[in-house]
Amino acid sequence: MELLPGELEQIKAETAEILQQHGTERQELIPIIQEIQERLGYLPKPAMEQVARALDIPEVDVYSVATFYNQFRLNPPGKHQIKVCMGTACHMMGGHIVMDSFERRLEIKEGETTPDREFSLERVACVGCCALAPVVLVDEKVEAKVSPIRVDGILLTFEIEKSEQEKVEEKEQQEGGVEE
Amino acid sequence: MSKVNITIDGQQYQVPAGEKLLWAALDCGVYIPHLCANKDKERPDASCRLCFVEIEGFSNPVTSCTQEVFEGMVVRTRTPQVDRLVQTAFELLLSNHKLRCGKCPQNRQCELQKIARERKLKLKLTRLRPLLTEEKPVDDSTDVFIYDPNRCVLCGQCIWVDHKIVEVGAIGFINRGFKRKMGTFGDVPLAESRCTQCGECVKVCPVGALVFKEKTE
Amino acid sequence: MSIADKYNAIRIAAVEKIDKMKEKPHVLVGTATCGRAAGALTILDVFREEADKHQLDIIIDEVGCMGHCYAEPLVVIAKPGFPTLCYGPVDEGIAKRLVVDFLVNDDPCYDFAIAALEPNDEFPTFEDFPRGVIEKKIILADCGFIDPNDIDHYLARDGYAALAKVLEMEPYAVIEEVKSAKLRGRGGAGFPTGVKWERCFKAEGSPKYVICNADEGDPGAFMDRAILESNPHQLIEGMIIAAYAIQASTGYIYVRAEYPLAVARLRNAISQAREKGLLGDNILGSDFSFDVIIFQGSGAFVCGEETALIESIEGKPGVPNHRPPYPATCGLYGKPTVINNVKTLSYVPHILRKGADWFRSIGTENSPGTAVFALAGKVVGTGLVEVPMGTTIRELVYDVGSGIKDDKMFKAVQIGGPSGGCLPESSLDLPIDFDSLQEAGAMMGSGGLVVLDEDDCMVEIARFFLDFTQKESCGKCTFCRLGTKQMLDILTDITQGKGSLEDLNILQDLAEDVKMGSLCSLGKTAPNPVLTTLKYFRDEYEAHINEGRCPALMCKDLITYIIIPEKCSKLCDVCIGSCPTEAIYTRPDMLKAIYLDKCVKCNNCMVACPPQYKAVIKVSPPIVEEKEETVEGGKEDE
Repeated sequence: MELLPGELEQIKAETAEILQQHGTERQELIPIIQEIQERLGYLPKPAMEQVARALDIPEVDVYSVATFYNQFRLNPPGKHQIKVCMGTACHMMGGHIVMDSFERRLEIKEGETTPDREFSLERVACVGCCALAPVVLVDEKVEAKVSPIRVDGILLTFEIEKSEQEKVEEKEQQEGGVEE
Repeated sequence: MSKVNITIDGQQYQVPAGEKLLWAALDCGVYIPHLCANKDKERPDASCRLCFVEIEGFSNPVTSCTQEVFEGMVVRTRTPQVDRLVQTAFELLLSNHKLRCGKCPQNRQCELQKIARERKLKLKLTRLRPLLTEEKPVDDSTDVFIYDPNRCVLCGQCIWVDHKIVEVGAIGFINRGFKRKMGTFGDVPLAESRCTQCGECVKVCPVGALVFKEKTE
Repeated sequence: MSIADKYNAIRIAAVEKIDKMKEKPHVLVGTATCGRAAGALTILDVFREEADKHQLDIIIDEVGCMGHCYAEPLVVIAKPGFPTLCYGPVDEGIAKRLVVDFLVNDDPCYDFAIAALEPNDEFPTFEDFPRGVIEKKIILADCGFIDPNDIDHYLARDGYAALAKVLEMEPYAVIEEVKSAKLRGRGGAGFPTGVKWERCFKAEGSPKYVICNADEGDPGAFMDRAILESNPHQLIEGMIIAAYAIQASTGYIYVRAEYPLAVARLRNAISQAREKGLLGDNILGSDFSFDVIIFQGSGAFVCGEETALIESIEGKPGVPNHRPPYPATCGLYGKPTVINNVKTLSYVPHILRKGADWFRSIGTENSPGTAVFALAGKVVGTGLVEVPMGTTIRELVYDVGSGIKDDKMFKAVQIGGPSGGCLPESSLDLPIDFDSLQEAGAMMGSGGLVVLDEDDCMVEIARFFLDFTQKESCGKCTFCRLGTKQMLDILTDITQGKGSLEDLNILQDLAEDVKMGSLCSLGKTAPNPVLTTLKYFRDEYEAHINEGRCPALMCKDLITYIIIPEKCSKLCDVCIGSCPTEAIYTRPDMLKAIYLDKCVKCNNCMVACPPQYKAVIKVSPPIVEEKEETVEGGKEDE
């Protein structure tokens, strides 16, 4: 993945700041990369290199940890994150059908991000709201008792939001043009 | 050094106290299949699950690489239960391994072949399904050796040498579960990694996953 | 000042504060994750706004989970002069009415109430329902009724009294008490807690560590999260007692990062405990010092295994190690370490306060105390329940859970999540305790209890759990990495109608070998769902293989959706709108039908079809009549 101009500097600065607040023992590794992901949304390669240097461990050890745990992402996530609960209760109440619907509508598989980076689709183990199954987390908001129809509804809301925003932007641009 | 008396398959042996059974047995000339065991590791990996034996007084078979010898220990290396576990573990490894030994540069020097010979196991899949449905690309980027992930049994010997003996830190286990593999930082070819191409890892590979290039020609 | 005096001073201050609060009307809104999912935060806002609007002098508090998930969002209102009442599910309208009718005026709106909290002449209490008769709450008792963000609520209910008592005991006497209580680890395997502590106490090496395992990852259990969110101090007190018993100076709470609310409430609780002198240096003026660090797990089910959890805290991938050595002698950083589950540690203050005899008087002889279950699936009363060990599955499903939803037929219970098993109707009278479950092939596991009915396919259930463990396998050992994959492939084939009877034998053999040969308990228990379903529901496997039929009509590849013309109405076309793939068409006679080749079996039409028609049905084995379909399709095109 290519970084945009300025991104590398930002990654380095943020990582350095986080590293400053931690010791250099091996057990700091997971808390450090958790914080990096919280700030940057994912674990960029330069950040992992920087962490490895600070803790004086091989980079591949950081990579081992980053690829082992579900939490860590090596690529930037989509603008909207959709997490379908695949806990037992949700599965029994049709969670897999909901996942299918998202896959079909977004034309991506679980674990992927749409090419326009609007949506990423993930599965999560039990969210702990089994009585409300099947459950979907849309940008951390819990959607309860989701049906395939609701899937369409959720995505439609985002589409409308986006097109309205585009209209506003377009209008602004046009108005800007008139002024010139 | 103090010694203890143990019995393996009816034969009595004197072995150093505190030693792990696997090494004691091998030193006595008793073969027990193994891939991941490493005498210099402070804590055995116990990951290949091939070195099972039965010990009198123990309800289930145990891995001999983790079991310390003790005075009066009575060991059987071949029982129906042990044979069944070893066979399944062996077949499972084969189910995710590029077979066709004739084309493998490690042919006749491979630990899997040795296990098959010793335990009269077939080197082909009869019961399980092949899990290696699509072959992963072979990394021939270095000048000295090639890495064929399709032949790797994940014993971890190469990674240990890389980290602990030559202290390079080029390779490690990456991913989890079925996707676990030996790889480099960022999954780049070995030549683009920190690898110094010293070849020490190749020397400890029990199978044909890491092989010197001269052998492949 | 002695330890007891110091404790009494902070306790009395807390009691006075809480008593003063009780003089005012009090509204408690359950805002644990489950409540929030059901909209509890909106309800909280409504109460706050309405109270402002009516200028009410009341206290509105956030509390944790009361365990009655089926009725979320839940609200408790305590108004002096009235019985304290629990309401749910509360929507915005009900919330507004409760403010106006009950808090402003004096009508308690009994219509919306579920139960009263204490006996009174007006309204039944939870104990008056079958669930309340069987339930015996110890560690859930205060959950949902105290403010987890205010330590004084816990203190006012004798919180930390056990700690004050323990600090004046010999450490070994504490271990003796826990041993005598026969407390067994609630993490799944049921190992005696006191014995674990004793081993660690006697082990050489220092410092020693206490770790609370809150890496709850079972896809159907959430009681640890509920306890952390609802009563964090109970756990912290238990941890301090454990630390004192083994003389540890540092503790870790290993909690899933996916539980942000639990983490926040724990952090807050820890800092409040420090402020009161209950954590940190010289606890309550004694010479015992102990502090707790929160470690956030990064989402790997295998880290529930104690050796993997240790690797993870040490900053490595969570890969298990061979035991022995056990953590009690060689744990975190190679030092003696006690690792206990959230629930296990939560029992500790109760045992020390009320005594081992009291604890042993509850439950069965070999499994004293209570069991906490997350009751889910096709049961009416979903929620968190706590029952004495020895309660039968029948009582749990039919009395505590009020039976099966929609009058369907009971088929099985899945106990213990991915490590547990499925027990059939014939096991309904099995008493629930560590040993009898293990004998039946299931496991207490993490305490997930999913009720399955006639619509649930047992092969699919086995496949689901194996899919989970296979994805969560760390990949270190051969049996778990490759054995579970082989088993999953076989199960997937069977659910797609591609299995053979020979596959069933291989599946059985592999399951037994993976159970015997795996390195850690994840692998050793992963085959349980497969083994129990093979044992109790072999006929369902055979129906899939021999007849290509899924008896529960669940396996997608083995069913077809059809619309029964006799039941379909010419006047209705909701199914057409509901179909995401335009697979439903109107026949010349105005009735509706489904193009089999376009149908993705999403179930939308079946849900959409109005109950008075119920014209959409599933059939198995699937229909493969290409001909009829094209003919009808052709007609329609004309």
